[in-house]
Amino acid sequence: MEGASGAHHRDPFKSSVGRVAGQRRRQQAVTVGKERRESVVRAKRLRRADPSDHGDDGSMQLAVMGDEAAYKALEESTVNAVHNLKNLLKGSPAKRIGALQTLRHLLSCTAMPPVHVAIEAGVVTLLVDCLAFGSSEEQLFEAAWCLTNIASGDLQQTCAVEPALPLLILHLGEKSAVHVVEQCAWAIGNVAGDGEVLRDVLLKQGALHSLSRHLLSPVPSLSRTAAWALSNLIKGPSPKAAMELMKIEGMVDTLVSHVSKGEEDLVVEVAWVLVYVTSMSDFHVTLLLNAGLLPPLLGCLASSEQLSLLTPVLRTLGNIVAGDNSKTDVVLSVGQSLPGGIIGVLARCLESKHRTLQKEAAWAVSNIAAGSILQKHTVFNGGVVPPLLHLLATAVFDVRKESAYCLGNLCVAPKESREQGGIILEHLIALVDGGCLPGFIALVRSPDVEAARLGLQFLELVMRGLPNGRGPKIVEKEDGISALEELQFHENDELQTMSNTLIDRYFGEEYGLEEEYGPGMDVLRGSDDSSDYPPWRQGGGLTA
Amino acid sequence: MAQEVTQILLNAQSADGVVRKVAEDSLKQFQEQNLAGFLIALSHELANNEKPPDSRKLAGLILKNSLDAKETARKQELVSRWLSLDPAVKAQIKRALSQTLDSVVPDARHTSAQVIAKIAAIELPQGEWPELVGSLLANMGGPQVEKPAHLKQATLETLGYVCEEVSAEILAQEQVNSILTAVVQGMNASETSNDVRLAATNALYNALDFAQTNFENDMERDYIMRVVCEATLSPDSRVRQAAFECLVSIGSTYYEKLAPYMQDVFAITSKAVKEDEEPVALQAVEFWSSICDEEIEIQEEYSGDFTGDSEVPYFQFIKQALPALVPMLLETLTKQDEEQDQEEGAWNLAMAGGTCLGLVARAVGDDVVPLVMPYVQENVSKPDWRCREAATYAFGSILEGPSLPKLAPLVNVALNFMLSAMKDENNHVKDTTAWTLGRIFEFLHGPNVQFPVITQENLPMILTVLLESIKDSPNVAEKVCGAIYFLAQGYEEGTGAPSPLSPFFQSIVQALLVTTDREDAGDSRLRTAAYETLNEVVRISTEDTATIVMQLVPVIMQKLNHTLEMSVLSADDREKQSELQALLCGVLQVIIQKLGASDTTKFGIVQYGDQMMSLFLRVFSCRSATVHEEAMLAIGALAYSTGAEFGKYMTDFYRYLEMGLQNFEEYQVCAVTVGVVGDICRSLDDKVLPFCDGIMTQLLKDLSSNQLHRSVKPPIFSCFGDIALAIGENFEKYLIYAMPMLQGAAELSAQQVIRDDELIDYNNQLRSGIFEAYSGIFQGFKGNKAELMVPYAGHILQFIENVYQDKDRDDSVTKAAIGVMGDLADTLGPSAAPLFLQTVFYKDFLDECTSSDDQQLKETAEWALSTINRITNVG
Repeated sequence: MEGASGAHHRDPFKSSVGRVAGQRRRQQAVTVGKERRESVVRAKRLRRADPSDHGDDGSMQLAVMGDEAAYKALEESTVNAVHNLKNLLKGSPAKRIGALQTLRHLLSCTAMPPVHVAIEAGVVTLLVDCLAFGSSEEQLFEAAWCLTNIASGDLQQTCAVEPALPLLILHLGEKSAVHVVEQCAWAIGNVAGDGEVLRDVLLKQGALHSLSRHLLSPVPSLSRTAAWALSNLIKGPSPKAAMELMKIEGMVDTLVSHVSKGEEDLVVEVAWVLVYVTSMSDFHVTLLLNAGLLPPLLGCLASSEQLSLLTPVLRTLGNIVAGDNSKTDVVLSVGQSLPGGIIGVLARCLESKHRTLQKEAAWAVSNIAAGSILQKHTVFNGGVVPPLLHLLATAVFDVRKESAYCLGNLCVAPKESREQGGIILEHLIALVDGGCLPGFIALVRSPDVEAARLGLQFLELVMRGLPNGRGPKIVEKEDGISALEELQFHENDELQTMSNTLIDRYFGEEYGLEEEYGPGMDVLRGSDDSSDYPPWRQGGGLTA
Repeated sequence: MAQEVTQILLNAQSADGVVRKVAEDSLKQFQEQNLAGFLIALSHELANNEKPPDSRKLAGLILKNSLDAKETARKQELVSRWLSLDPAVKAQIKRALSQTLDSVVPDARHTSAQVIAKIAAIELPQGEWPELVGSLLANMGGPQVEKPAHLKQATLETLGYVCEEVSAEILAQEQVNSILTAVVQGMNASETSNDVRLAATNALYNALDFAQTNFENDMERDYIMRVVCEATLSPDSRVRQAAFECLVSIGSTYYEKLAPYMQDVFAITSKAVKEDEEPVALQAVEFWSSICDEEIEIQEEYSGDFTGDSEVPYFQFIKQALPALVPMLLETLTKQDEEQDQEEGAWNLAMAGGTCLGLVARAVGDDVVPLVMPYVQENVSKPDWRCREAATYAFGSILEGPSLPKLAPLVNVALNFMLSAMKDENNHVKDTTAWTLGRIFEFLHGPNVQFPVITQENLPMILTVLLESIKDSPNVAEKVCGAIYFLAQGYEEGTGAPSPLSPFFQSIVQALLVTTDREDAGDSRLRTAAYETLNEVVRISTEDTATIVMQLVPVIMQKLNHTLEMSVLSADDREKQSELQALLCGVLQVIIQKLGASDTTKFGIVQYGDQMMSLFLRVFSCRSATVHEEAMLAIGALAYSTGAEFGKYMTDFYRYLEMGLQNFEEYQVCAVTVGVVGDICRSLDDKVLPFCDGIMTQLLKDLSSNQLHRSVKPPIFSCFGDIALAIGENFEKYLIYAMPMLQGAAELSAQQVIRDDELIDYNNQLRSGIFEAYSGIFQGFKGNKAELMVPYAGHILQFIENVYQDKDRDDSVTKAAIGVMGDLADTLGPSAAPLFLQTVFYKDFLDECTSSDDQQLKETAEWALSTINRITNVG
């Protein structure tokens, strides 16, 4: 109960700066940690709100169905927000940032944000002003975010962003704050995702080099975003950008090192870059392989279960094995260290329940199966046949088609070892005995010309190849003749001719005679001729 | 036996160490063998008037220490030990103690009063010793029975202690009434003994918190106030001082009841400030300072938001008293001490008066200016240094509070004068002038200041003066550092353009480094001020001076290396070494944070990484808590800057990390280390996994310990979240340990009802920590391990609902809570839909947040809402 008797008195306010400053500094260090935690968590949440992550569950449609009045109100507030920003351009920085934030929220608040009204109200010019040099980090960040949201709209909306591109690219510079760079990269990635014209604009303005620098950023989210944006930028179809990227010094090593050491999220985006590079430049495939890409790449395949990672990795692998056979040999040999070898790993992907994985894996397998006789044997004995047969019988159409390519390729001998009429009889018999025929006959009936051709080609192999005239009989038994007859009047001349020839040859007057079928049945498909299979994906965007 | 005890107690105070040791050992032995007998013997020793005062006093002290301890765990142990004693033993001890209150030996009475209060603190909350208050009041006598003054004095003292020890709701109102009656009677002017009056006044000071009901009643309040005011006029200065202490306490506890008395109180305090002895005058000034505190707080509450539950009326006492109050305070300013600027912790009337004037300025704003400025102008050039110092002090005091348009013109005129006053012949004048310059820079300079007093034109001159004056005597130099500190701070938040300070950057840094090396830098905390100022200068520096900052790294590292080679022969040496190491680690922390924030400069840090780390590890091996803390902070910054590279240091660093987490005593060290674990998690991501078993074990131990300061617990929970975010599904193995801790803490916090600001604040922090843990775990498990969290989802939502209902919940808890809702929905997906569909509150909660002004909160709420909608619409 000393009260205040002398010993305790309030702190004099004419006091020493050291103690307070030290406390403040330590407090700041704690605050910095808190902010970093928050930004990590926040980034994860926003990234998940990315529609590309949600795939096809249709959830993004829900909000669109809201009542019209509410949407009208939303449009009105958007116009107001744009005007408000205009009025504040010369006002206090804090208010301006507030206005930008409001706008950014409006531009992301539903699945169908009112981007068009904002554009009509002239938002882009204002945002360009906000990106001017000397603007505060926060302002740059918010403006870039707004642009990101606008650029995630349709093509026309994305095109509206064009005047902002030079500044967005400039702010990718080394002196910008990390979160600003990341946001700009995001916006640019969205733009690049929207078509070749815009990609060309970005490339001309130097986006490629600016982005590529950040691939090496120690901030994980930034290197990831940079990789994602780059992958959109080099989509092509022209291979020029991909070539340009690979010319950058050290790029091959950077990509390889990311695949081997990066966190999974980063590997995903880098793998997409690899997808485009490997699909467009055989030369760079060789460089990448020499730099040691395969061990870590195949490692991902064996160890990860993430759909988002496996998809681009499989596609890259498919691109690699689509090249000459020596590359496939390297893949098979490096893959030996994996359990079940690379073919075993691919078999497991075929057994996955995800359609995308089934399809990507089948595509890779079909390319390996299009290789040398030894490679065909390896595939055949590597455990992929049961899942392929299963897929051919049960999967959705495009997966069935890919599986059919695999199985077909397994039965056709490579050009250089054309014994037995170009057929690997051992494989063919096993597959037919395994029950593949109904699957191929179903393809013959398909309205898809390519699939029908594939089915026809396989029926031809069976009818020609199986010993003792077993072929035509078994085709007839599986109701193949009616399938062939359906094509006799097909509008596609090639199919019409093929089916006519087959019916004439095997079920016409000469039914029962064995005769060699002429040319035209090389490998079932050219190594990477997959016109329904564009070597790029649609860009995702930020919506939150 | 009894004789023996006396001798042992006397021996235990012997100057001879050997004798003392033997005595202490036998006391200990006695206590262990027969606690009841021991305590009884002590109480009899204390009660026995035949015994020497010294043995009685020590007996009482040991008794007291057997009932209470500072440390919570020990205290609990002592309490239960006392409660488990035989009632007859306790009764016997209490009887002896009560009897002692009547002793003629003052020390014995005083000690006994303290012991009685300690027993009361244990027993009254248990409903025991109901007769205590009654029997004490009987000691006070009555109209017919006159009791001796020393008994009344000791009884009042006891009552005061009891009120101090026991919380207000334990005593029945009728007991409070009789205690107050006795106390107020004892304070009455008719009481002839000054000792009784003093004891009564001190008792009232402790009893004021109990007097809520009595202060509601006009008659009783008038009476209490009259008695207190009369006591401030007592001939005994001790009584006057105690009475003013009561007034100070009444001023803050019963502000809303003060209006009718303010005129009288002003007269009384004014007289005391002018005429009374310093200890009394200081309390009189303190009364006004505490009224300022109240009114500043009320204004902050009003300006904050009007929906607040503040029902305290705002009487503007300070504004009304201003014309008389300000002159009274100004008069105190010339009563300086010759030594005040050289002595740490000095306190005198001039300092108290200036401090109060500063508070007045904050309470009333512009109105104070016309009352103070004439005094400043009149005195600032007088030949007497006391006048010049007082005028400067007055000017510096009013720089916070009044509006900028009011102050800016005055300061613009005064600035040049102040700069030239740095050459004054008097040390005190220079000291206060430098401090005033610091205040000018603190409040009238900066990016958000409309009328900045520093311009491109005057900046060179200002710096010339400061860099010259930093060579002055230590106390002046220390204040100059403060001025540079605030000058630098005002240039914060640059737009990337070079700072106006850049051209002078090199010379400022140089001057500060020279200052830290001064022979006399240990005086007036100069070295600390110089280093902290260097830190601030570095913190606000812009890219164009990054090279200079980079060059500082080897310089500071060398200094740090030098401390490792200092010869440490004494505790003093050790302390000096520690202090230096702490300061230098602090500088490195700031530099790392600064250079690490930009990609272009980060390489510098990375390049010195190995060297810095090895220095930090060597500093750790010197073992000192403060150094530990600063080195930890620096390492946290380094981890963030180097990213995954930091992994290579982990093997060597890990044992210090663990030591930090084990440091219960210096809990700040523990807290900082917990923060560093978070930094490391964010840098290493899943590469932190090999260390997680050890870290988690230690964190769980910390949480279960009742020794660890509670403030560390919220950060530990957040740290769980950091770890889960980093190692993702690998957190699975810790789940069975972490979840019960989280749930337990959540339940405990939901049950808290005590309404005190500190606890409310703590509860909010705790909840934020718990939520951060949940968010991290959910996000970490999303994808492959989501099902592990299904069993906890109901409980977590329940907890969020509890928090939603809490009206004391602050913004950061709100944000964390709705974040968890979104994470829960996001991770568990449609399987969580039924939970949300059964719940009503979440929509209201999120609606509340989506209409918030806080953009981040709004954004999080919108995200959570869309996530929940997604799963409930699908499922």
